[in-house]
Amino acid sequence: MYLIPEHKQVPFAGCTTAPVSEQRMMITGNWRTYRPVINREECNLCLSCVAYCPDACWQLNEAGDEVVWNAEYCKGCLICVNECTHGALSKAHELDFEDGVVRLDKPF
Amino acid sequence: MAKEVMISGCAASAQAAKAAKVEVICSYPIRPYTAVMMELAKLVANGELDAEFIHGEGEHAQLSVVYGASACGARTFTGSSGVGVTYAYEVYSPIAGARLPVQMMIADRTLDPPGDFGSEHTDAFCVRDMGWIMGWAEEPQEAFDNHLINYRVGEDPRIYLPQFVCQDGYFVSHIPGKVVLPDQSQVDEFLPPLKMDHRLDPKKPISHGPQIRPDQGDALELARAMAMNEVPKVAKEAIDDFARIFGRKYSPFVEEYMLDDADLAIFIQGAHAATARAAIQKLRKQGVKIGMAKLRFVRPWPTEAVAEALSKVKAVAVVETQTSYGGATRGGGLMFEVCTSLYDVPKRPLVTSFMAGLGGEVVKVEDFEYMAKHLTKAIQDGKVCKKVHWIGFEPD
Repeated sequence: MYLIPEHKQVPFAGCTTAPVSEQRMMITGNWRTYRPVINREECNLCLSCVAYCPDACWQLNEAGDEVVWNAEYCKGCLICVNECTHGALSKAHELDFEDGVVRLDKPF
Repeated sequence: MAKEVMISGCAASAQAAKAAKVEVICSYPIRPYTAVMMELAKLVANGELDAEFIHGEGEHAQLSVVYGASACGARTFTGSSGVGVTYAYEVYSPIAGARLPVQMMIADRTLDPPGDFGSEHTDAFCVRDMGWIMGWAEEPQEAFDNHLINYRVGEDPRIYLPQFVCQDGYFVSHIPGKVVLPDQSQVDEFLPPLKMDHRLDPKKPISHGPQIRPDQGDALELARAMAMNEVPKVAKEAIDDFARIFGRKYSPFVEEYMLDDADLAIFIQGAHAATARAAIQKLRKQGVKIGMAKLRFVRPWPTEAVAEALSKVKAVAVVETQTSYGGATRGGGLMFEVCTSLYDVPKRPLVTSFMAGLGGEVVKVEDFEYMAKHLTKAIQDGKVCKKVHWIGFEPD
């Protein structure tokens, strides 16, 4: 018999309940070394970041007046920075942040 | 009513797939296995088998198609030979890891180069460690039966693993043998429809194959290994039930032939076991106490059954119909596990191996006589003269 510690337990064959929006079993934000930072004054809500993010980490908020960044799943690919039409997005190193993933003992 | 026919191994495999009521078939041509798909295509076209017949654009596509179909809960069938088997390499582990009971028929063919249509087990041996059940048939009837037995074992909820059902190219795949085609009611009793809890179902949405963290990987590998560990128990139940329903009784893992009073044993798998039987009968008439242990499953390897069978004798000849270049014996790949199985036996027999049947060369009765001669000498000397002999290339 083998004992599988709790943190290693995986569902049968790795099958998970289909996520409605976020897959809690696979948080990818801790892959990041750089993150996009938004300058709200420059943002004209063109939504290029929303359209181009491969992981849907930029979303328009409910009020419709701001784009919101998802830190838990953004892998830091910076496509959004490249595609931003108004120069509102820039890249910053994770080390520059108190909550930067490289400083975390446990990734989220 | 069950009926007796004379058909080739490929035709027997096609008839078995039909009897198992496979739902999705994916084909891509390569000799010698192609004859299975030619037969199945006819059965589907004639309306004798209600299955989706999909033409893959290569073996990688074949395995990908049955991967997806099996994930949806369909009973699937595919197959290949030689370099076709190795071309699909990437997809074998994902299918086993996803715990999908796909079935693949392999009719062995020598790997290139040069192009050689002959049978050699190396193609299948390359893919034996992926978490698929694997075993060989000696003749068309055993091939037919192995397909049904493997579906039953692989689809058992305690297992859920894919299966390679192997037969030698040409020696089995293209030479007709007597096959009893059972009543459909017998097959239905033995093999109920596949009902897989983890199938993709719009009413109960789940994700297959998501990314996991590296620290969860070893736990999933352990789960796959544990499923494989359960196979012997489930296979024994299935083979007993097979005997009850169909009246043909197989030794589950190692078939012993004239071994009880034997001093010498031929350890072999696949088609050449038929010639070994004839050679043993001839040698017995000359007073040589020789028998045979025929391996029916390579994965999972039947460690105890091999040890039990071979510890009855004083010397063993392992017939290697595949290559493991640079391996421990500088010969084939069966020896490693034969010797591992025998390591803890109190009275270990002497073991040597014979490279035979490579590239599709025939293994003749005389070749088994040659093996017996070497085993007899090894017993007299108290040791084997070398770990590997290349049949047909040695001066003595």
